[in-house]
Amino acid sequence: MKLLRTILVALLLIALLSGCWNRKEINELAIQVGTAIDKVGDQYRVAVEVVVPAEVSARAPGSGRSPVTIYEATAPTIFEAFRKLTETSPRKIYSAHIRVLVLGEKLAREGIVDVLDALSRNPEARADFYIMIARKSEGKDVLKILTTLEKIPADDLFYTLDTSAKTWSPTTAVTLDKLIEQLVTESSSPVLTGARIIGNQKQGETHKNLEEAESAAIVRFIGLAVFKKDKLAGWLNETESRGYNYIMDNVKSSAGHIKCPTGGYAVMETTRTKTKLKGKIVDGEPVIRIEMKNVGNVSDVECDIDLADPNTITALEQKSKEHLVEVMEKVIQTAKTKFHMDIFGFGQVLNRSNPDAWERMKENWPQHFSKLKIEYAVESIIHKIGTTNDSLRKYLKE
Amino acid sequence: MRSSTGKIPLQDGLKPAIETIQQTLGSSQDFIVKPIETAWNREAVLMYMHGMVDRQILQHSLVELLEGVKPDELPAETREARQLLTHIQKKALTAGDVKLDETMDELLADLLCGYAIIMIEGCMEALAINVEGGEGRSVEEPTSQGVTRGPMEGFNECLTTNLSLIRRRIKDPRLWAQGRKIGKMTQTNVVVVYIHELASQEMVDEVFRRLDKIDTDSILESGYIEEFIQDERYTPFPTLYNTERPDVIAAGLLEGKIAILVDGTPFVLLAPALFVQFFQSPEDYYQRADISTLLRLIRFLAFLITMLAPSLYIAITTFHQEMLPTSLLVSLAAQREGVPFPAFVEAMLMELTFEILREAAVRMPKTVGQAISIVGTLVIGQAAVDAGFVSAAMVIIVAITAVSSFVVPAVNLSIAIRMIRFLLMGLAASFGLFGIMTGLIVLVLHLTGLRTFGVPYMTSIAPFVFENQKDTLFRIPWRGMVLRPKQSGSQNMQRQTDPQQQKNIQSAAAPPADGSQQPASTAHSHSSPPAGSEKAASKRDGTGAGKQEEEPS
Repeated sequence: MKLLRTILVALLLIALLSGCWNRKEINELAIQVGTAIDKVGDQYRVAVEVVVPAEVSARAPGSGRSPVTIYEATAPTIFEAFRKLTETSPRKIYSAHIRVLVLGEKLAREGIVDVLDALSRNPEARADFYIMIARKSEGKDVLKILTTLEKIPADDLFYTLDTSAKTWSPTTAVTLDKLIEQLVTESSSPVLTGARIIGNQKQGETHKNLEEAESAAIVRFIGLAVFKKDKLAGWLNETESRGYNYIMDNVKSSAGHIKCPTGGYAVMETTRTKTKLKGKIVDGEPVIRIEMKNVGNVSDVECDIDLADPNTITALEQKSKEHLVEVMEKVIQTAKTKFHMDIFGFGQVLNRSNPDAWERMKENWPQHFSKLKIEYAVESIIHKIGTTNDSLRKYLKE
Repeated sequence: MRSSTGKIPLQDGLKPAIETIQQTLGSSQDFIVKPIETAWNREAVLMYMHGMVDRQILQHSLVELLEGVKPDELPAETREARQLLTHIQKKALTAGDVKLDETMDELLADLLCGYAIIMIEGCMEALAINVEGGEGRSVEEPTSQGVTRGPMEGFNECLTTNLSLIRRRIKDPRLWAQGRKIGKMTQTNVVVVYIHELASQEMVDEVFRRLDKIDTDSILESGYIEEFIQDERYTPFPTLYNTERPDVIAAGLLEGKIAILVDGTPFVLLAPALFVQFFQSPEDYYQRADISTLLRLIRFLAFLITMLAPSLYIAITTFHQEMLPTSLLVSLAAQREGVPFPAFVEAMLMELTFEILREAAVRMPKTVGQAISIVGTLVIGQAAVDAGFVSAAMVIIVAITAVSSFVVPAVNLSIAIRMIRFLLMGLAASFGLFGIMTGLIVLVLHLTGLRTFGVPYMTSIAPFVFENQKDTLFRIPWRGMVLRPKQSGSQNMQRQTDPQQQKNIQSAAAPPADGSQQPASTAHSHSSPPAGSEKAASKRDGTGAGKQEEEPS
């Protein structure tokens, strides 16, 4: 009994000692949802987008105030800049709920590795936010464009990229852990989606942007930024981005047109696609084999073909296959000639299949890459043709 | 009371005796003395306590005893007083217990327990006739454990009625009821009921040992007994089960448990009581198994919610905001905007308000109860939120906690959880989820350490008993409940014939030559004590089934 009492008292004392370590009430937090990092001179400028909860909550009637507020600070290092934010923010910046990180194009060209270090070292933030490059603008500007459907601009960026990456092959969503993995892997170069402000930047930052059906300024995800080590090397256009994502097996579903034999287009919707990369050595030369299985539906027929004829389907499948190969070839060509680097991680594929050969080649892999032979084994299958048979054009003629 | 010891002072006639009794009882108003006529013109007197006797039975008994014995039919030797009294004793049929009291103590005890006393001049003994009765509640629907399907009668305050309710359900000679009188002043009847050969004899002896140790003036409710005989004093958890429902007691007895009935209360105790038992509603066994299983799982869920919802809310909103989805976090933050208190104080405030409201609702006269609930809902709900005292989310948490606490079928367990909930809230406020986890670990240690009449409280879960899983979290169909739940010492495990065995017996019983010998073996195994061994029990049941099988042919 006496022992029990002693233990009890000791336990009670512990409760007093702790002083509620790390306790913070929800309404004492500044919930950071977006971060933009830019380079200003040789200093880093960190801007954080913080939610104003009362403005976002469903119960609040639109008071017309901004749903978010942006704090910024400039310092020689990133962490210092983050801490310096408290000079202007009344609450502690809470970064666990960060949705997007926007890096300015200037910063990207100078190197992003220090940013990644600072962010991955922070225990508070999760690693599942999306990273994007502000194309032709500063990162901070992208966060400032007010959006209508999602009240919080960072949320808007997050969900737009998320939806797009799932249903449209030219975009890709990269999280912090994935980016770091790509960065540190030998012979592989990371890519990031570009975010570009379209329209009037100044008006987009004001409340006016929310008042009209067509916003004065929006952010659009265009193209993929290709990195050499940690520095931005250049941009892939839409077709190249599509090819890149197909090769990297990033595509969940998409849509793409193919030319009909009689002229005009038919659109194939990809519902399921799987790409496997295999490396081998043929006559002492490295060869990469791209095995792809693409399953889809016909979703739009803008030409005169007879869909009831199985041969037409076979022909379409063939066309689709050729189209896919063409798209992939294009991006590989760009990588070889424009960037002179292996953005696909083919080197790693080879390393996995022929480690010995890789040991020999890794020294001058860029040279090998520029001459690399690619084999395509693409299988394209059309499952469904939608809820009608022939194109309406056919009836129009009769 | 000193003067009342020893013989009844009848040597000088009836008067002094009556006077002595009256003096001892302090001339109480409800002490009734009536002179009656008997054969041979002997002076006699009838005494009883008004209100303690059933006047109808008393009247019947008197007619039977006194008018029934005509002087001319009486044998001559009844002229002697003693002989007359014994003769009357033999004639008593309607009344229950009839006995001769020799001492003043006996007489007073009987008188106060509802006996009618007849004294005849010249006889040194008094005749005590049990005509116990008086006003009481009839058998009504139990209020504390409602069911939608199942028997609707509940125990009442009368012990004999309660005992009869049990016996009506188990018509077996092995249903034994053995009594004690506990409480020096209240002289409360306490009856231990069990099924002989099913309940462990050791445990029955232990119950009696503990009951005999009770040394107190008064037992007014079974709660007194519960506190005196429970294993562990320092625990919020009930280690004895109590119920108003005879069907629950009957089911318990059939599992080898021991019931303790206390006169004057409808709440009957059942021992040993396991933790999981408090989550079982009698209805579980009357509804289909799948429905019961689902409902039982919901009860366990509600138990967890009652215990953990406020503390998890506190821990997550003040320590682990990263666990919330972003939109929920923003919405919670918006609600808490302007709330002056930390989440812990907020939660304490609301939980306490609710506990006060609940207590008020129980104590309030029924007619004003309505008012309380209206004020309560307004205070705890809309007004508190509008005034910016608490956030709307907190109200939801308190509401779900409160509603869940009513789902647990046993009130005493639900009170225990309510207390623990406050401790966990404190831990959550100072250590977050670590605190809750530590609290739960301590709780589990405590629970696994508890014993109820020597049986581990968490039996079926810890120690894990595979056979008992059929009726722990799940309730499998009755067909599958071949064996009784395993508790230490419960003898005779077989509840029904194993379907597998039944099949074997059917095929074995098919040839008629074999069948004719089976009744003999049945009789044999019945006569042998089936104590304990599962084999013996199954053999007996098995052969019983075989017997049934051949009857139609």
